[in-house]
Amino acid sequence: MVHRHEKLAIPNLGNYTIALDSAVRSIGIEPWSSTATSSRAMELGIAAAPESLCLPFKAHLGHFIEADDAGCEHALMVNSVGTCRLTHYRRLIEDILKDMGRKIRVWGLGYDGIKPPLIRYFDPAPIPFIKAVLLALEKIKIIDVMEIAAWKTRSRELRRGDTSILVKDCLAVLADTNTCRKVKKLKAEFLSKFETIPQNHNLIPLKVGMIGEVSVLRDRRLNQNAEEILGNLGVEVRNFFLLGAELDNIFGIPIGKNKAHTRKQLARIARPYLQNSVGGHALDSVAHTILCSQAGYDGMVHLCPAGCMPEVSIRPILAALSRDLGIPVLELSFDEHTSSVGTVTRLEAFTDILLQRRKKVKNG
Amino acid sequence: MDKVYLGVDVGSISINFVLINEDKQLLFQSYMKGMGDPVQTVQNALRELSVFMADFPEKKISGVCTTGSGRELIGLFLGADLVKNEISAHARSAVYLYPEVQTIIEIGGQDSKVAILRDGMVVDFAMNLVCAAGTGSFLESQARRLNMSIEDFGCIAMESENPAAIAGRCTVFAESDMVHKQQIGIPQKDIIMGLCIALARNYVGNVCRGKEFRSPCLFQGGVSANLGMRKAFETILGYPVIVPEYNMVMGAYGAAILAMEAHPEETQFRGYEVRDLDIRSGGFTCQDCSNQCNIMGIWNGDRILKCSGGRCEKWRNTVFPVDKQ
Repeated sequence: MVHRHEKLAIPNLGNYTIALDSAVRSIGIEPWSSTATSSRAMELGIAAAPESLCLPFKAHLGHFIEADDAGCEHALMVNSVGTCRLTHYRRLIEDILKDMGRKIRVWGLGYDGIKPPLIRYFDPAPIPFIKAVLLALEKIKIIDVMEIAAWKTRSRELRRGDTSILVKDCLAVLADTNTCRKVKKLKAEFLSKFETIPQNHNLIPLKVGMIGEVSVLRDRRLNQNAEEILGNLGVEVRNFFLLGAELDNIFGIPIGKNKAHTRKQLARIARPYLQNSVGGHALDSVAHTILCSQAGYDGMVHLCPAGCMPEVSIRPILAALSRDLGIPVLELSFDEHTSSVGTVTRLEAFTDILLQRRKKVKNG
Repeated sequence: MDKVYLGVDVGSISINFVLINEDKQLLFQSYMKGMGDPVQTVQNALRELSVFMADFPEKKISGVCTTGSGRELIGLFLGADLVKNEISAHARSAVYLYPEVQTIIEIGGQDSKVAILRDGMVVDFAMNLVCAAGTGSFLESQARRLNMSIEDFGCIAMESENPAAIAGRCTVFAESDMVHKQQIGIPQKDIIMGLCIALARNYVGNVCRGKEFRSPCLFQGGVSANLGMRKAFETILGYPVIVPEYNMVMGAYGAAILAMEAHPEETQFRGYEVRDLDIRSGGFTCQDCSNQCNIMGIWNGDRILKCSGGRCEKWRNTVFPVDKQ
C-alpha cells in the first residue's frame, strides 16, 4: 500500500461514523471524522454552497472544507446512482472545492463497480481489508442494537438524560474497541447497562415513527436533536434509518437481527399511493407510514430538508395517508434558517395532540 | 385560603400575566412589551402582580405555568410547575371560552400559527417557518414608518372602501410595494387595508397551506387587536371571526388553566422575591467538542442560573440556587 501516510475524511453517518472510522484506521489509513456536523462546518458549507441546495449538501461540503483545513488529502462520501440530485453531489462538491483552490479529493462510496476507484487507489492488502470490513459490520450491528435500546429506554427513564449519557459512554467504549471478538462481547454488556437505568416499566409510551431523508435522520445537528427531544417528552421513537438493516436491504447480506424490508416489499406496500420512483428514501417514508399505522403507532414525524426533491414530492402523499389511515403526520422542514425553538414547540404540540388522541380512544 | 393560578406567556414582543381563581375566572391580567429583556420585564410584571395581590392576603398562588418562546428560561426563573408550548396553551383557553371552536388563528409578535380543532381537541396545527410576514412586528414597523400608532393603523384601514393590491409574500417586497402605491397617489387608508388583506391572504395561503378553516373561528394574539386584520380575515374566509374578550392574553390564560389542571400538590413558585434579583444574560461558545454550541445563560452575580442552547446534557441541568421563600 503506497498511500498509507495520507489522511482520509470519513463522511458523516451519525453514530455509524465510528464503525467506518475504525475500519479505515485498521487498514492503516489515518481517518478524520465527527459524529455530528460541527457548527463551523455548517457555516463553511452554507457560505460555499449555492443557496438553493439542500441542507445535507451544505453539511457535506462544510465537512469536507473543515477536513481540508485539518490536513486531509482525501474525503469519502456516499453517492448513489438513484433518481435524486445526490447522484451529482460528488462531482459538484469536488468542483466547488477545486474552485475554492482546495486540494482535497472526494471519493464516492457507492455503486462504482466491483472495485471502486478509492480501493484501487489505496490498494489495501486483501486480508486486512476483509478484516476491516468485518469489523465495521460488527460495529454497525452493535450501534443498531444500541440505538433501538436507547429509543426504548429514553421514553421510560425516570431521570431525564440518563440514556443520552449512557449512549455517549457506550459509543466512546465502542470507538476504542478494535477487534471483532471484543466488539461482539460488547453487545451483552451494553444491553445490560441499558437495563440498569431506572425506568418506569409499566409506562406505555406514545410510539412515533421517524421517517424522511437519511442525512437528516441520522445527523442530530441537522435534525436539531429531534429524536432526543421526543424521547425526553416520553415518546418512544422508531427512527427508520438503521445502517445495518439498510445494508442488509442493499446487499442482501443479513447484518444483525434487525431486518429491514426490501425495496420490492416496500414498493408493494406503497403501491396504492406511490407508483413512480422518486428517489432518495421517499419510498421508505411512504411505506413505513402505512406499516406504522397498521402496527398501531400513534404518529409519524417526517424530517425533510427544505428543497429535497424526493421528500418534498411525497408530502401530499403523506397528507393523504394521514387522512385515509387516521395517523397524524408532523412535517418538519429543515434548512439553515430553521429555528430550534420552533422545532421544539412543534414536537411538544404534536406530542400533546397524540396524548389527547390516545385519551379520547381510551374513553371511547 | 383561596387558591389562585398564574399563567405567564413569554412571547417575543410582549410578556403577559394572567391570574385565575379555581372557577377559571380571570382576576388579573397584564400585557407588557418585552423590550428585549424578558427577565426584567417579568420582574416588572411581578411587581405589578404583588401590588395587586397585596389587597387579597387570603389568595395564594398554588400553581404556575409558563408558555411562549421564552417558557424554559422564565419557567426556571419563576419556578414553574408546568412549562407548556403555546399551541396547547392557546387552544386550552379557546376551548374553555368557546367549546365549539374549530379553528384558532393566533398571530403574535414573531409567530403566526393556526390550530385546527375537532370536538374540543387540537388535531392539526401549523406555524410560520422562516418568514415573519404578517406578524405583529411587521405591522408595528409599518405603523411607525407611517408615523401613526398601531391602534390608529387598524382604525384607518376600516375606512377604506377600495383596498389596494399589495404583495404580501415577503415583508421587504410588501414595504416597497406600499411605497410604490403611495407614490402613485393611492390614499393611505386603501394602502393599509390592502396590506392587511395581503397579510391575511399570505397567512391563509402559505402559513396554513392546505388547512381547512371551519367556522367558528377564533382570532387571538396581539395582532387580533388590529381591526383591519379582523376585517381582512372575515373578507377572505367569508364568515365572521370571533375575537375573544381576552384576545391579547389568551396564551397566558390557557397556561393558567393548565397550571390549575396540573394540580400541583405544592407549587414550585419561588415567590415575589425573584423580582428584585440582579439578573443579566449572556452567551458563550462551548469549546468541549466539535459541536461548538452557542450557550445562552442567565447570571445572578457570577453564578449561572440557567443555560440553554447546548446539544448535550452538559449545560442543561444547572440548578437555580435561590432559596425558596
